[in-house]
Amino acid sequence: MRNTTPKDIGSINFGLMEPEEYREMSATKIITADTYDDDGFPIDMGLMDPRLGVIDPGLECKTCGQHSGSCPGHFGHIELAAPVIHVGFTKLIRRLLRGTCRECSRLLLTEDEKEEFRQQIDQSRKLGRDVNDVTKAAIRQARKKDRCPHCGEIQYDIEHEKPTTYYEVQQVLTSEYSQRIAAAMQGGEDGERTTPDELAEETEIDLTRINEILSGSFRPRESQRKAIEKALDIDLTEEDTNKLMPSDIRDWFEAIPDEDVEALGIDAERSRPEWMILTVLPVPPVTARPSITLDNGQRSEDDLTHKLVDIIRINQRFMENREAGAPQLIIEDLWELLQYHVTTFMDNEISGTPPARHRSGRPLKTLSQRLKGKEGRFRGSLSGKRVNFSARTVISPDPTLSLNEVGVPDRVAKEMTQTMNVTERNVADARRYVSNGPEAHPGANYVRRPDGRRLKVTEKNCEELAKKIEPGWEVNRHLIDGDIVIFNRQPSLHRMSIMAHEVVVMPYKTFRLNTVVCPPYNADFDGDEMNMHALQNEEARAEARVLMRVQEQILSPRFGENIIGAIQDHISGTYLLTHDNPRFNETQALDLLRATRIDELPEPSGIDDEGEPFWTGRDVFSELLPDDLNLEFTGTVGDDVVIEDGQLLEGTIAEDEVGEFGGKIVDTITKVYGNTRARIFINEVSTLAMRAIMHFGFSIGIDDETIPEEAESRIDETIDDAYDRVEELIEAYERGELESLPGRTIDETLEMKIMQTLSRARDNAGNIAEEHFTEDNPAVVMANSGARGSMLNLTQMAGAVGQQAVRGERINRGYEDRTLSHYKPDDLSAEAHGFVENSYTSGLTPREFFFHAMGGREGLVDTAVRTSKSGYLQRRLINALSELETQYDGTVRDTSDTIVQFEFGEDGTSPVMVSSSEEGDVDVEQIADRILESEFDSEAEKEEFLGSKPEPTNLSEHADSRRIAEDVEVTSDD
Amino acid sequence: MVDVSQHELVPEHTVLEEDELEDVLAEYDIDRTDLPKIKRTDPALPDEAEIGDVIEIVRDSRTTDQAVVYRLVVD
Repeated sequence: MRNTTPKDIGSINFGLMEPEEYREMSATKIITADTYDDDGFPIDMGLMDPRLGVIDPGLECKTCGQHSGSCPGHFGHIELAAPVIHVGFTKLIRRLLRGTCRECSRLLLTEDEKEEFRQQIDQSRKLGRDVNDVTKAAIRQARKKDRCPHCGEIQYDIEHEKPTTYYEVQQVLTSEYSQRIAAAMQGGEDGERTTPDELAEETEIDLTRINEILSGSFRPRESQRKAIEKALDIDLTEEDTNKLMPSDIRDWFEAIPDEDVEALGIDAERSRPEWMILTVLPVPPVTARPSITLDNGQRSEDDLTHKLVDIIRINQRFMENREAGAPQLIIEDLWELLQYHVTTFMDNEISGTPPARHRSGRPLKTLSQRLKGKEGRFRGSLSGKRVNFSARTVISPDPTLSLNEVGVPDRVAKEMTQTMNVTERNVADARRYVSNGPEAHPGANYVRRPDGRRLKVTEKNCEELAKKIEPGWEVNRHLIDGDIVIFNRQPSLHRMSIMAHEVVVMPYKTFRLNTVVCPPYNADFDGDEMNMHALQNEEARAEARVLMRVQEQILSPRFGENIIGAIQDHISGTYLLTHDNPRFNETQALDLLRATRIDELPEPSGIDDEGEPFWTGRDVFSELLPDDLNLEFTGTVGDDVVIEDGQLLEGTIAEDEVGEFGGKIVDTITKVYGNTRARIFINEVSTLAMRAIMHFGFSIGIDDETIPEEAESRIDETIDDAYDRVEELIEAYERGELESLPGRTIDETLEMKIMQTLSRARDNAGNIAEEHFTEDNPAVVMANSGARGSMLNLTQMAGAVGQQAVRGERINRGYEDRTLSHYKPDDLSAEAHGFVENSYTSGLTPREFFFHAMGGREGLVDTAVRTSKSGYLQRRLINALSELETQYDGTVRDTSDTIVQFEFGEDGTSPVMVSSSEEGDVDVEQIADRILESEFDSEAEKEEFLGSKPEPTNLSEHADSRRIAEDVEVTSDD
Repeated sequence: MVDVSQHELVPEHTVLEEDELEDVLAEYDIDRTDLPKIKRTDPALPDEAEIGDVIEIVRDSRTTDQAVVYRLVVD
C-alpha cells in the first residue's frame, strides 16, 4: 500500500493471555479435524474455515471482507477437553508450585519476608538488574518452609519430570512396616532385643495396639509412627509420588492471591498464573499455515495444520471416552497424548520427548522452530531480509577509475533502476529514457502514471509511452554514470565494508573497482564477489553521497589514520620514481603525469650534459602535492623525507609515506586539506606510480633469487657449522655437562640452545644471500619499499628455509621417540626435528618437505580457528553495543537512558580524526594557529577577533591584590 | 596489604557531596540509578563510601587531560 503512514509504537506489554481473550478474538471455534470436503471446499468449523482468512487470490475473507494479500488472517480456537500445560512456562510453573502452599495456595513467606522481596524487586528494576535473581531467591526461601506460615499445612517437595509432568513427593508409611519393626526389635548382631512391652512403654502405645501393628493388621497413625521410629531408631517411611494433573495445578494456581503473585515480580493484572495452563488453544490463521497445491492437483498442508489435526483428533477421542465413562487409566493416557500434541505443536525440539514426525520421517517444523535460530523469523526474516535492487558479481580491478567509482556491467545497469520524478525540467530526459525502451542502455523499465497505475515499458510500446510522459509521472530509468550506489563485500567487519560509489556503466560482466579500495573491503581479485545496492529515494541517495562515499571513508575510525592509500605496485612505483631520484626528459615526464590534472610541466629540474632539460622523479612527484604542504619525518627506507612548500626535497616515497594504514602524506593531506583533496591525491599517486613502474619495467623470476655458487657454498658452511655446534650441545647434554638456564629444565635448556643456534644459522645464511642481491633487485625493491614481502621471505628463497615449528617448538611428534622412521630413536639432531637447510630455490628434500608441511598445516588451522572465534566474538560484541547511542548532550546511553559514558569516548573526540598511535599526538596549539592563520587575512583582523588583554601597568606589587579585589567587588555590587 | 588506591594506575575516587550530586543529576537529567555502578567491595573506593553514594572518578586523558566519571555504589 502506498499511502499507509508509519505509526509510532507507544509501548509494548508482555504478559499471558486469558482463555476468555482467546475466545473473544477467535473468528470461529474449530471442531473438525478435516480440512476440505470432497468438492475441495473448506469445511465449516474445520481447520481451513474461510473465516480464518483467505489465501486463494480472488476470494473474499468471510471475517473482514478483504482479499488475499490485505487480509491479515484471523485466529480460531479449540476448546480443549482437559487443561494442558504450556511448555513455554514449565520452569515458572515448577517455581510457583514449590513456592506456594498446597492447601491455601498462598506464598510460603511471612508478610515481612514478602515485603522485603517486594522491595528488592523494586530495587532491581530501578538498577536495571535481572529481577529473576530476586524471585529465584524468594522461591528458594519459600521452599525451606516445612509448613505453610498461613494455614499450617505440611508442604511436600515438588518434582518436575521434563517436560510437563509434576509430582508431589510425600513421605508415607511403608507397606512393610511390620517387618521393619519386627526386625528392629530383634536387634542387629550386637543390638539389644526389644520386647513389645518395652516398646509399648517407651512409645506410650497400648500393648494390644503394638501387637496389632506388629501383626500388620493395624496401620500406625502418624504420631504413633514417629514414636516407634524414635524408639527403635528406624525409618518406617517410603517416598510416595503423587502426580499432579494439569487440572489440579490450575485449581492450585487459581487460588494464589494477586498480592502474592506480585511479590514474585509478576503483574497479576496481566498475567494470572493459572493462564499458564491452557484450556483453550488458539488456532493460527490460515495465512500463517497456507496449504499448497502440488502439480498433480493434490493439496499439501503446512506442518502446523498437521499438528492441529492431531490435536483435534485426540481432543475428540478424549471427550468421547470421558462421556462413555472409560476407565481412569485410558483417560490418563489420552490426556498425556493430548499434552504431547499440544507440547510439540509449540516446540518440537524438547529434550526427553520424541519429536513429532511427518509421514516421511522428517520432524515437523512447529511454532518455536519457526522463530529460533539462524534461519528463524528473527535472525532470518527480520534482521536478514532479502532485498530488491541489489546485484552481485565477481570483481576485477580497473586502475583508470577514480576510487569513488565503481564499474557496473551494462546488463546490471539495465536491470537496476532509479526512480525519476518527472518535472517540467527533466521531462525531456524522461521521455528519452522511455523511448529507448528496456533493452537499450540509458532506458527505462517501468513508468507510473499520476493515478498510481504502473506500466511496463516494452520494446513495442516505448515510443508511444514516451510521448505520454508528463510532469507528475514517475519513470524507473536505468542506472547511468554518476548515480550513487552502495557497494559491499562480506564479511562486513567494519563500516568501510559498505561504502557508496558513483556508477560508471561498462561492458562485460564484472564489477570494476580501483585497486586502492581493496584494503578497506579486504578484497582481491582471485574470484571475490561483491554486492551492489541501488538507492531508491532522494534522502538515501543524499545521505550515501555525504556520509558513505569512499572519499569520506579514507580515515579509519579504528586507528584514526588513512586506510586507503597506495598498495603493492603503486608503492614499488613511487619507490622507483623517488629513491634514486632518476631524471626524465620532457616526453617521459609528460607521460608520467599523463593521467593526472597536471598538463603543464614545471620549470625543469636542470639541464643535462647534452643541453636537454630534465625533470627529476621527486620533482615530478611534487607536482601532485598541495602547494603549501610542509612535512618532515623519517621515512620507510630510513632516510629523512623533507617536503617544503609542496616540493619533495629529500627522501623516498614508499609505504610509510603514501601507503594504506597510515601513510603520512596521505594522512596529512586528508586531515589538513580535506577528503576531496586526498581523493585526488590518492588517485594521482596511483596513476603516476603505475606510469612510473611501467616506465622502468618491473618483473620477478626465479633467477632473481638465485645466488652464485660461491655464496651457496658459504651458506652450506655456516649451516654445517651450526650442525657441529648442535652436535656439541647434544654431546654435552648426554655427558650431563650442560648447565640449565635459570627457571628451565636441562631438556628445555638444550631445546632452547639448539633453536637459538639454528635460527642464527638461518639468519647468517640470509645475510650471505643478501650480500649478493643488488639494491635494484625487484624482490629487494619490494621488501625495502614495503610493497610486498620481507627480507625473511628473501632469506627463505635464497638462503635456507630454516627451522619448522609446531606449537612454537621444534617438531617432536610422529612416532615413539622420533619424528619419522628415517631416524634413530631419541635422535636430537637438527635434521631429525624439522630443520630445513635448503632454500625454496634449491628445493626441499622429501623429509624437509614433510616437516615444512607440518608447520604449514598448523598455520592454516590457526587461521581457520581464529576467524571463527573472532567472528563469534564480534557478533556478541555488536549485539551488546548495537543499542548504545550518543545523545545530543554528548553522553552515550542505552535504550533505557542509563548512562554508559558521560562524554563520548570520555573525551568527546572523533576516533576518525584523532590518531590513536602514540606518536600521532594531537597538537592543539599548532592546529589552532593554523586555523587562525588561514581564517584572517591580516594580523589586525585576527587581533580584533581574539581580543587583547593588556597587562596592567605594574606600579606597585600591592596594586595586584587591589586589582583582584576590585574585580570581585564589581560582581558582588551588581 | 597493598592499598590499590595509591597505585599510579588507579584514578582518584572521591565521594560526591549531596549538593554536587544534585547538580550532576540535573545536568544529565537522570536519576541516580541511571548512573554506571561500582561495587561497594571495589578496592579503589574510599573507606567512607556507603551503598547509595555517588563516586566521582577523575581520570587522566590523552586528549582532554582529565575525564570525569560518576558511579553509584551498589552492593
